[in-house]
Amino acid sequence: MQQWPSYPKAIGFCIVLRLLLALSLDLYLSPPSLDAYSSHNGDKVVQFINDGPGLLSASSPLTLYANLKESLWLYHHGIDPYGSGIGQSPLYLALSFFPSIVDHTPINSQILSKAFEYLLWTIPDAFSAWFLVKIWTARAPSSFKSSSSIAFLLPTIYLLSPYGILPFLARSTGVWENAVLLGAIAWACDHAPNFKSKSLLLLALRTHLSLDAFILLPPLILLLLGSPESMLAEPRPFALRAQFTVFRAAGSLVLEFMAYWSALTLISTLIVGHWRWMSATWGASLSLPSMTPNPGLWWYFFTEMFDHFRPFFLVVFNIHLLMYVAPICIKFQHDPLYALFILLGILATFKSYPTLSDHGLFIAFWAIFPEVYPYLRHPFPTFLVLLHSALLQPLFAHLWLSHGTGNANFYYASTLVGACAGGMAVVDAVWAGLRIAIEKAGKDVKEVVEGEEMVVVTQQ
Amino acid sequence: MRLLSFALFLLLYLPLLSPSNASSQHTNNWAVLVCSSRYWFNYRHMANALGMYRTVKRLGIPDSNIILMLADDAACNSRNKFPGSVYANPGRHLDLYGENIEVDYRGYEVTVENFLRLLTGRLPDSFPRSKRLLTDSSSNIFIYLTGHGGNEFLKFQDNEEVSAHDIADAFHQMYEGGRYNEIFFMVDTCQANSMYSKFYSPGILATGSSVVGENSYSHENDYDIGVAVIDSYTHYVLEYMEKVNKTSRLTMADLFTSYDVPKIGSHPGIRSDLFERPLGPGNPDHPMSEYGWGKGWTVEGGGEWMGRESEGGKSARGFREALITDFFGGVVDVDVNNEDNDEFLHLFEYEDSECSPIPKTPLPPSSNKTHSSPATSLPSLFSLLDVLDSYPSLRPHLALTLLVALFVIVFGGVLSGRS
Repeated sequence: MQQWPSYPKAIGFCIVLRLLLALSLDLYLSPPSLDAYSSHNGDKVVQFINDGPGLLSASSPLTLYANLKESLWLYHHGIDPYGSGIGQSPLYLALSFFPSIVDHTPINSQILSKAFEYLLWTIPDAFSAWFLVKIWTARAPSSFKSSSSIAFLLPTIYLLSPYGILPFLARSTGVWENAVLLGAIAWACDHAPNFKSKSLLLLALRTHLSLDAFILLPPLILLLLGSPESMLAEPRPFALRAQFTVFRAAGSLVLEFMAYWSALTLISTLIVGHWRWMSATWGASLSLPSMTPNPGLWWYFFTEMFDHFRPFFLVVFNIHLLMYVAPICIKFQHDPLYALFILLGILATFKSYPTLSDHGLFIAFWAIFPEVYPYLRHPFPTFLVLLHSALLQPLFAHLWLSHGTGNANFYYASTLVGACAGGMAVVDAVWAGLRIAIEKAGKDVKEVVEGEEMVVVTQQ
Repeated sequence: MRLLSFALFLLLYLPLLSPSNASSQHTNNWAVLVCSSRYWFNYRHMANALGMYRTVKRLGIPDSNIILMLADDAACNSRNKFPGSVYANPGRHLDLYGENIEVDYRGYEVTVENFLRLLTGRLPDSFPRSKRLLTDSSSNIFIYLTGHGGNEFLKFQDNEEVSAHDIADAFHQMYEGGRYNEIFFMVDTCQANSMYSKFYSPGILATGSSVVGENSYSHENDYDIGVAVIDSYTHYVLEYMEKVNKTSRLTMADLFTSYDVPKIGSHPGIRSDLFERPLGPGNPDHPMSEYGWGKGWTVEGGGEWMGRESEGGKSARGFREALITDFFGGVVDVDVNNEDNDEFLHLFEYEDSECSPIPKTPLPPSSNKTHSSPATSLPSLFSLLDVLDSYPSLRPHLALTLLVALFVIVFGGVLSGRS
């Protein structure tokens, strides 16, 4: 068997490739010149991605690079960045500590600030890839070798897939959100000292950046109290000595999470100076103030409905996200990492402002559960529907917005197909995760009854 | 090699040698029709604009290329005996209001600011496409103003005035932004010729209804409606335009030589010195070269025509004549070039931000400032908030420090207990 390079080399190689791609695209689109006018052009790479292949999908209003820059500029000049009612988390405003990221006016600081920006968006992705490998090693330690093909392919595919590259080039803040979330999961899997606090702090940070991640708290707590190893084949009730101890342990973890969350809230309030940022950031995911089209399901629905019904449907859509948590956590209590994975899929499909980063995270996570692959009922149609939607979405967005020959229905139809793919993937994952148990149970039965030639028919 | 590069460098100047923009063929037509008066007694100005609108539409410019600015208070005025209609002739033969007119700026939206912003394109993003002049460098624009005016000003809605200098500057901004190929400017007010006297951008042909010091008069009253229904100058221009259809080869000189001073009641003027193309020979009975002379013209020195001297040289340069359908014709090719407009607008946006910096206002203080309880910890809280307000950069620095401290505490393992 050929010896694959180790995963740190893989990560380093992919990062270098990405930086080369970004730099060459940057040099091609905005050749360096000493003309003062060019510094006002904005970043041409971001514009190119946001008008081209990543139209509407690389960033949402909550993750847009232009919104980040605008809020940093406003904050730097003493104006309230949340005046418009929608904005990004105040923790990003702490970046105004580095003034070069706010203003690009002198030419030498332009180069420095560009280098700094590239660093700021590359490092989280490197960490994301490393966290993915950590999760993989924690899940299947017996079959893991440092130079096995999966350890090489996992970070490579994550870093070089279009779901990773487009948000990186568009400088969407979804890159940071993914890194933080993957860090939370990685530390929950990896039983290093003090791992629970690290994981909870990172999830608190992630929930601060985007409130939808709150639904990942229950499976994460189960993961912290359990183990990440693959227990799909052996379902058993979640028991940690006794039920009461389980609740007490979970309760203390929840309290710790709330403590970190309150600390971050206070820090955010300190940054901004008032409390209105909560309705602008968290309220934005809940109440949908911006109808900017995105690859999600909410915007079209809410543009079409009368205002009279808006509160009702907002409640419906939000509860739709919440209602999957309990059933999935109960059903997959023996394997909380799998529950987390399914909830990631639900989040990617049904949250209010999804972007390519969310879909990319869900797709990357599929690589961590190879034991379910034989039990998937329709992997190939799911993949084809996803491909169909992924290829048509930018095309229809382009037709609608740039060419003016299509209309919103084209784009929304391709989004619906994407949601169909997401739904198919989640349903298939649930099916396969439960199917393994039946298979294993069947094998157990077969082993017990050895005398008779009992053939357990398994359907695949 | 150097010689070759120098020759190539010279080639960059080749576009300067080419004929200027004005003689190049236009590809689309736009019309901006403005009635700057309101109230019932200015019914005739509404009828002027609506009559011109109907003519412009009949000759082929679609509603999407017409910006109609009216106060629009005549048709449904409670004094209107024929509600929902606006007529331009005493017999009420033709309802100009009809059922499918599109008024883009109505009522109190007809302001000087909106008019100038419409021309220059410096509108906020919230303005819809129907309210924008989406012209490009190959658009011919017909701009028609009517209302009450005076020497170098036009009164808008009885409230404010736009001066000839403002319009001239707006036209020059349009020229520099490549927002027109040629402009035909027609104005029907008192002392109208003063409105075009200040233009200085190339490619503009202008005509007005009366000289400085002279009034323009209404044409006819309708005794059932009770007010004057049309202005004299516009009436005769529209009457002439009825002879024009989409395929006419009638030149602008034919229009200008049709002016009949005894009938119109005032002395219309022309300005063509900024316009590069020849106006044409005119009516053979009273050709263009005799504009302003002959019977009916009583002004000394000939009827007012700025650019009479340069008219001869134009035909020598081989440009084709200006046809009426150049400005009133149908749309040949609509091409909205948004990227150029956006870059141009971005230039102006940044210049604005440098000229008028946003004042630095301190961030609002935290809402939990109370003056009631005299606990010992509160004075320190007050002073902390004051310090934070007076040093605005302290907030992110402090917050970043706290954030880093939190992460160091958790990740450094100081928080022991549960592992």
